[in-house]
Amino acid sequence: MATLSHNDIAQAIYMASKDKKGHELSDIVHSTVKFLAKKRLISKSESILNKLEKFSNKEDGILIAKIVSVKYLGEDSKKDIASILKQKYNAKKVLFEEVEDKTVLGGVKIEVENEIIDLTIFNKLKKLQEHLTR
Amino acid sequence: MSNNTIVENLKKEIENFSLKTKAEKIGHVVEVFDGIAKVSGLSDVKSSEMVTFVGGEVGVVLNLEEDTVGIIILGEFSKIKEGDEVRSTGRILEIPVSNNQIGRVLNALGNPIDGKGEVKSDKNYPIEKVAPGVVTRQGVDQPVSTGIKAIDALIPVGRGQRELIIGDRQTGKTAIAIDAILNQKGQDMICVYVSIGQKDSKLRKIQTRLEEGGAMDYTIIVSAGSSEPAALSYIAPYAGVAIAESFMDQGKDVLIVYDDLSKHAVAYREISLLLRRPPGREAYPGDVFYLHSRLLERACRRNKDYGGGSITALPIIETQAGDLSAYIPTNVISITDGQIFLETDLFYKGVRPAVNVGFSVSRVGGSAQIKAMKKVAGTLKLDLAQFRELEAFAQFGSDLDDATKNQLERGKRAVELLKQPQYAPVLTQHQVVSLYALVKGYMDTVPVDQIKAFETGLIEYAEAHAKTFIKEVVEKKMWSDDGEAQLKKAIEDFKVSFIK
Repeated sequence: MATLSHNDIAQAIYMASKDKKGHELSDIVHSTVKFLAKKRLISKSESILNKLEKFSNKEDGILIAKIVSVKYLGEDSKKDIASILKQKYNAKKVLFEEVEDKTVLGGVKIEVENEIIDLTIFNKLKKLQEHLTR
Repeated sequence: MSNNTIVENLKKEIENFSLKTKAEKIGHVVEVFDGIAKVSGLSDVKSSEMVTFVGGEVGVVLNLEEDTVGIIILGEFSKIKEGDEVRSTGRILEIPVSNNQIGRVLNALGNPIDGKGEVKSDKNYPIEKVAPGVVTRQGVDQPVSTGIKAIDALIPVGRGQRELIIGDRQTGKTAIAIDAILNQKGQDMICVYVSIGQKDSKLRKIQTRLEEGGAMDYTIIVSAGSSEPAALSYIAPYAGVAIAESFMDQGKDVLIVYDDLSKHAVAYREISLLLRRPPGREAYPGDVFYLHSRLLERACRRNKDYGGGSITALPIIETQAGDLSAYIPTNVISITDGQIFLETDLFYKGVRPAVNVGFSVSRVGGSAQIKAMKKVAGTLKLDLAQFRELEAFAQFGSDLDDATKNQLERGKRAVELLKQPQYAPVLTQHQVVSLYALVKGYMDTVPVDQIKAFETGLIEYAEAHAKTFIKEVVEKKMWSDDGEAQLKKAIEDFKVSFIK
């Protein structure tokens, strides 16, 4: 039998529990744990849960964006960024994860899944250095 | 340049600089070990794509897995840590190429390591490329003259051929390759010497030798030393052939030496095992054949419609205790167009170059030999093979008939004539003269220990007294009846004076 990837399992759990409530949902949780125990995958549950979170966010149109800047951004700029990201990634809702980092010198770096939009001064200087030393 | 102009230039450059902002694909390092990085993210990355790390280190994607990609790090990896950003570039790994690289020693990434300053280059070539197709190719019919009698006469190499040099350690494999490079002087050939996993002292020795012989005027050395990570040894031959291709694209003929592919296979095995690819025979991964076949297939001769030019490859393989049937030797023997097999026994008997004529073969070189050489070398190979058989037989000491005795004597002289010291290439026309004297029986009465002296004297004498013959061989690649008669007379005259 082909090995089950964590992605496949997370997807299956999501499908099974979608739109389920109360008694039904607890049944599904119960059988999921039983399944993981039977397949000896309890130790991998963290990775499976991560995958499940990613998958459900994607299905529900939730986007998690990491913002790196010298200072925390104001609400207005965040709103602007959110509207741009919603358009670009077809998302319904954008959640921000903010990081303060003095080394970027200025500007902002937005990380979404595995894409990055780097508008920091640090990156611009690095690009200029590459251009001048070429 | 005055300070002002420097500032002006800088200003101009900065004004011209425009930054396009776009979303880049990134990943994060999950683990780093032994020159390998496992990276999560990088969703759209291609196999063999170049990626860059935060500190400017370059990596190449080799494994694409469900959640991570396996990357080999080219160079220093001690500063890369877990969580570091990795950016994809969208480009296959490429190295800078330029005609200024001639005479330089480069590392596997095309950067100079000989301390002679930067090499300016305007172009980049990808290190992995599909070999030229059938339509673009032409048959091999031009010789590569190695200057080694045993090879030029018996196992000729043509432009665009792949001829394997195989043998145990210390049998003179590198010496043959270096001699071949030294002999390319004035033959309109660019040489690339790729040193894979060799000691730096050996590389230095080779570099000095090539400089002394004036060969660095047309040679490029690409080196991945034994102290460098396996990843660099793995890409070095591909980098070498990329440089060779840049010259072939200018319509030039290139000779490339891979010294040696056994170490290349070992480096690839190391990488593959670290990437957890399943091991196969001798723990090599399943695609070790493809590793070498795709490299050697890039040696070719292109036809005029596609720009001409050729790449002749001389890969080197080191065997263990003469075992030709090990995994890597059989693979490379089957890929190449022939092999030059060097033997320890012969080497210690004093037969140098220690070419075993029986096991050596050139599958396409015959058509690349000049007519004159073909004529004199025609029966030599068979004679030598028969001599080896008879030699073993004659050791029982029984009485032999005259025909056998003659064959033995001729064989002894042939072996003696094919001996040649290192770094002493012989011109093709001189080879033809001495081999002519041998196969026509003029040397049968010369004592074996004087063959060397006879040969040297004869060549000198023929240069003075058989000018027509030599001129014809050089220009028309074949002698006429008049030229032959002149040479015959010259040999007879010389022999009389020599035996006196």
